[in-house]
Amino acid sequence: MPPLLSLEHIVKVYPGGTRALDDVSLQVERGEFVVLIGLSGSGKSTLLRCINRLVEPTSGRVVFDRTDVTAARGAELRRIRRRMGMIFQQFNLVRRSSVLHNALAGRLGYQPLWRTLAGRPSRVDLELAFANLERVGILGKAFSRADALSGGQQQRVGIARALMQRPDLMLADEPVASLDPATSHSVMRYLEEINHADGITVICSLHFLSLARRYGTRVVALKGGRVAYDGPPAGIDDGRFREIYGEDAVEVEIGPGQDAPLLAKVPTGAEASAAEHLIDIPDR
Amino acid sequence: MSAKYFTARGLPVPAELGPAWRTSWRRWTAIAATLAVLAVGVRITDIDTSRANPEYAAQIVFGQLFRPDWNALFSMEDVESVWDTGLGLMVVTIMLAVVATAASIVLALPFSFLGARNIMSGHPVSLAVYSAVRLLFTIIRSIDILIVGIIGVILFSIGNAAGVFAIGFHNVGVLGKLYSEAIENIDQGPIEAVTATGANRLQVIWTAVLPQIVTPFIALTIYRLDANVRFAPILGFVGAGGIGLVLFQNLQLLRYPQAGAIILAIVITVAAMDFFSAQIRKRLL
Repeated sequence: MPPLLSLEHIVKVYPGGTRALDDVSLQVERGEFVVLIGLSGSGKSTLLRCINRLVEPTSGRVVFDRTDVTAARGAELRRIRRRMGMIFQQFNLVRRSSVLHNALAGRLGYQPLWRTLAGRPSRVDLELAFANLERVGILGKAFSRADALSGGQQQRVGIARALMQRPDLMLADEPVASLDPATSHSVMRYLEEINHADGITVICSLHFLSLARRYGTRVVALKGGRVAYDGPPAGIDDGRFREIYGEDAVEVEIGPGQDAPLLAKVPTGAEASAAEHLIDIPDR
Repeated sequence: MSAKYFTARGLPVPAELGPAWRTSWRRWTAIAATLAVLAVGVRITDIDTSRANPEYAAQIVFGQLFRPDWNALFSMEDVESVWDTGLGLMVVTIMLAVVATAASIVLALPFSFLGARNIMSGHPVSLAVYSAVRLLFTIIRSIDILIVGIIGVILFSIGNAAGVFAIGFHNVGVLGKLYSEAIENIDQGPIEAVTATGANRLQVIWTAVLPQIVTPFIALTIYRLDANVRFAPILGFVGAGGIGLVLFQNLQLLRYPQAGAIILAIVITVAAMDFFSAQIRKRLL
């Protein structure tokens, strides 16, 4: 079986001349949980956006499930996009709209235009929205305005919106960078669950290597727009770490229950499992 | 000054810390230039106060204008309907502004999307449309409302139609620009997210843009309605209808007590509009 996603020699040069991606090739198999790491500006966001063409690659090819994404236009591109969910660092909810409306936005790619304009989602879509909101534990907030929710709750709405698409691939752009450590784990666990239970392939960019080790089945490191490492999380030793993050870097731990996680060490197994109990994951 | 800090360390001294005369030289030039412009202005405008007549002015203002003849507002003599009385004309003038504002919304609303950079960027053709629309708004705004009023009177002859035309035309330019800027100020994140779901352009606007602009649009519209109610009485001076026409006639006939009553009605109306529009906008935002 061909890979679910294949990136071939992707180059992205922004109008200012910044070479954000410099010949990136990558193949992602079904069911993988790929974590993208790298410094700010290493090209993680650009790479994710080249996959669903929110950013237009300068050259190279993106092939998704045997379809050439880079060649797709108009309706064909939208049909591809609806099979890729995406969640964002800043959640990107319509803040003035209700949680339910935000979730329903995930169905737009399947919805006839008149339903959007009339504001009348189908019964099936409505029930799917309730089901997905219940799944991420915020059904009770369905009729609240999105900006009335906490950061972690808003990100869960973002996940529900993406799940509404019934995607084959989930793109997550720094999904926990705006969240506190405990909430971060909660959100990552939802991603882990949709990866395990629904078999949705996940490509997720993260700042913290500790989260990458904990949740990723594979780590891809970008440096200066090139792939600096591609392999299992365990393969990143001190030497590799300095290669990716620079000589002066010190690994930072992000864990629940720590007030100041800066410069802390990677927890031992016992510490990590003790910490797990502090994670607040609502019933689902 | 503290340039020593830099010289002591062998660092180049920033220009800002250079000799004091350099900054003061600029300052004195600016002051001298301003005074020179002012002097020339006073000279060529030739302000002549020798013909001022304070006693006459006091007699007119306090003796006649400030002793309003309320009949000018309420009297039903010589008029065909209640809308031709002073008060009736005040209501007509407000409605003139309301109708003109409504008409301008119909035009400004669709054009404002074409004049919003964040909606139109991404394609050279749409970007050209954006520039053209914004240029159009600017041209419309640069024609003073009284001039549009005069053109309206030429077009429709004296009366309310000219006033509606003047306010409506001018307001398309103002409201279009304000709407466009409101669209440009929205959060781009939801647009990106909704685009990523596979929605088409219209669905993106409907779902991610509209909810963000409804409140600012209402606030801006009320603000413009307030401004237009202010314009409407003045437009009567060029014949573009409303209570201003009657005020102008009374002033021409030196009927100051009648004019005083009308001016008072206008002041109260404008003040009330100002107050209510501020209250509503405060509650919205």
